[in-house]
Amino acid sequence: MQQLKQVLEEEVLPKVRKPLRYLGNEYNAVRKDWQAVKLRSLFAFPDVYEVGMSHLGLQILYGVVNAEPDYLMERVFAPWPDLEQELRTRAIPLFSLESLRPLADFDCLGFTLQYEMSYTNILNILALGGLPLRAQERGNEAPLVMAGGPCAYNPEPLAEFIDFFVLGEGEEVILEVFAVMAAHRAIRQGKQDKKEVLKELARIRGVYVPSFYEALYDEQGKFQGVKVKEPGAAPRIVKRVVRDLDQAYFPARPIVPYLEVVHDRMMLEVLRGCTRGCRFCQAGFLYRPVRERSKDLLLQQAEKISEHTGHQEISLTSLSTSDYTCVEPLLQEVLNRFEGKNIGVSLPSLRVDSFSVNLAKEVQRVRKTGLTFAPEAGTQRLRDVINKNVTEENLMEVAEAVFQEGWTQIKLYFMLGLPTETLADLDGIAALAAKVLLRGREILREKGSKQRPTVTVSVSSFVPKPHTPFQWEPQDSIALLQEKQKYLRNRIREKGIVYHYHEAEVSFLEAVFAKGDRRLGQALEEAWRLGCRFDGWSEHFRYELWREAFRKTGIVPEEIANQPLTYQDALPWDHLDTGVKKEYLRREREKAYELATTGDCRFAPCSVCGICQDLDVDTRLRKGE
Amino acid sequence: MRLCLQYSKEEEARFLSHLDLMRAMERALRRAQLPLVFSEGFNPHLCVSYASALAVGVTSEGEYLDLPLKGDWPAEEAVQRINAVLPAGLKMVAAVPVTQRRESLMAIINLARYRVEIPLRQAIEQKEAEEMIAQVLARPAYSVLRRGKKGERQVDIRPGLWQLQGWAENNKLILHIAVQTGSQGNVKPEEVIEMVKDTVSFSRGENFWGENIRIHRLGLYIRENDKIYSPLERA
Ligand code: SF4
Repeated sequence: MQQLKQVLEEEVLPKVRKPLRYLGNEYNAVRKDWQAVKLRSLFAFPDVYEVGMSHLGLQILYGVVNAEPDYLMERVFAPWPDLEQELRTRAIPLFSLESLRPLADFDCLGFTLQYEMSYTNILNILALGGLPLRAQERGNEAPLVMAGGPCAYNPEPLAEFIDFFVLGEGEEVILEVFAVMAAHRAIRQGKQDKKEVLKELARIRGVYVPSFYEALYDEQGKFQGVKVKEPGAAPRIVKRVVRDLDQAYFPARPIVPYLEVVHDRMMLEVLRGCTRGCRFCQAGFLYRPVRERSKDLLLQQAEKISEHTGHQEISLTSLSTSDYTCVEPLLQEVLNRFEGKNIGVSLPSLRVDSFSVNLAKEVQRVRKTGLTFAPEAGTQRLRDVINKNVTEENLMEVAEAVFQEGWTQIKLYFMLGLPTETLADLDGIAALAAKVLLRGREILREKGSKQRPTVTVSVSSFVPKPHTPFQWEPQDSIALLQEKQKYLRNRIREKGIVYHYHEAEVSFLEAVFAKGDRRLGQALEEAWRLGCRFDGWSEHFRYELWREAFRKTGIVPEEIANQPLTYQDALPWDHLDTGVKKEYLRREREKAYELATTGDCRFAPCSVCGICQDLDVDTRLRKGE
Repeated sequence: MRLCLQYSKEEEARFLSHLDLMRAMERALRRAQLPLVFSEGFNPHLCVSYASALAVGVTSEGEYLDLPLKGDWPAEEAVQRINAVLPAGLKMVAAVPVTQRRESLMAIINLARYRVEIPLRQAIEQKEAEEMIAQVLARPAYSVLRRGKKGERQVDIRPGLWQLQGWAENNKLILHIAVQTGSQGNVKPEEVIEMVKDTVSFSRGENFWGENIRIHRLGLYIRENDKIYSPLERA
């Protein structure tokens, strides 16, 4: 151990870029006595440090576990290729940040699955840690490997590699999981019987052990569903939900990185969930119902994190912060309390309305950058299809407010390839952008400003996601998406509009991995063997290697991404239950084709998606409390 | 009031760049709940001024910063408070109030001392080490290439190399260096190392040198005529 530490610090780290990524001695990092605890765990984030350290979930789970005297949790991130190279040449195993121990020393490893394009990094972390990739090849001595996060709601492409998945909000269930693992080892002198411990874990609500289930296929190889193989395993696994956000664990002492990370600020989570009901949005269906945190508690929490981190900015985070029912008073009080300390406030997610622009105006006294909004589609018809309840009036009102208030840039997010899309919808995007720009010019001219407005149009491609009303929808082929991207580029002529789009190949692979079944694991492993890493980073993305991996493993990815599913088809995630009924998703999809919108159950009547009825939770708003 | 604080950057913090260090320091100063001073204007920033930047990989026991505070604070209490909340590897050593109308640290500091360890691929005797140093010092001039805003230029570092001592220690050549630093002229320890290597390689060959040179700053000083003061003495 001492030797490894020395080699790393003296020889390896001085050679790599940003060695601080691998040190683990940041302020508030927890280094516990290895011998003094009953269970040693490692949080594995399958992306680079700066991304992982911006993730609130990591700080929450790290805090929850390390608050327990019997457990410890350390961290590991995907090593950047320069470190991977050094580790491979010297045959040094990948190590944890806090104690520089190899992965194999831990009792369990937990991956967070935030996006599909991080999957090759998961395999790479296991491999560099010296662990066999496949769950069944890891014996009793190896750490148990678990995973959670949004992609765990269709984890089938990873089923061969991960011992168990946890569905739902981690802080709600992690200590139950740890208690079972610790008790299991306690009566076996620190050892584990893997099969046995998995059986014990499978009894916990929300835990899914894929090896206890079997995927069925017909003669043509068509997926037929997942069946229980191990007696006693639950036929359906239901997610775990925090009922009351005020009671949930809150990380008052988050780790303060030395390096500049992507979100380098305090994160104050004001609410969880969103019931606006956008039909393409997976987060909207996974994190139901809406649960707000009370304002007074948030203020106390802000004081605490500020005291323990020294950060200069507080971010009021959630899926849609303008929807927080106490957002104005909260913002006022946060500004009052922290202005004297020169601590700023940021709002990461703004609804398309002038109310949100006013909030932004409050927090940005200096109008530094522009503001970002997401109308998502170019025509009212298509916005009704996706249930994005934003009108052109809303957007123009926003544009007006933005330019009036002194910003000169506005960024608009749209999606290409949405169900029922026609060229008119693409024309609509170009027309909206032009209209916003024109309004911006008028306003700036009226104000006598010399500056020119800029409108950035950022276009991503629709990815059909499990557990959404559009889960049955096909994705446009790569060629068609590219054609649409080009078409749109030609429609956008004005100087003053900047046009960005995402690589269609990446969106395609996202759809493949979002919707795929267990067989996809082979292609994933092959792609990793061929050298795919950091697929979410355009400088590392190697599409030709992915094609080769599919070819070698006989998988036709187009069949997964580009083919529509019928209501009769078994879905690889049918046994995993978010609480939202499949019937409800189907009804929402049918409404989409009828151009019928669904109201937000916070303000409109409950549309009975099923979660509050089945999971014994409810929408908790704080207004008037 | 203004405090002049001496701090160290130890092993655990050696991979911090100056920017990382400034960020970590600002956060710690905020956590210490001292009455900090911010600049005026739309985008107020914390008022701290650093004596000198330290490169990634270099440790130090003698770094300095000036910290203006609102109201009077006992220097010792400030040191304690900051030390309670500094991250691993950074430590306040001492502090004094700046009494005179003194210029910025950056303007007055003109001497830096370093200890350098150069691993060697073969052991040497103390006498050999001394000969090497004598050879180096015998050079009347030594040009290094510097990249600045106006492109590259050659600079003679010999006049700014004020002291050089060396001795042998377990397959290592240990150097103590005193160089000119600051706005009047600035010699980096890396440049002196280059000069030493260049001179000695002439007789010993390139293969003589091992990897992983360690540089440690012993302190920053103010040299006035023949006297040398620490910044705390000149507060
Ligand atoms: S059950 Fe009703 S109130 Fe609860 S999240 Fe679903 S639609 Fe909203």
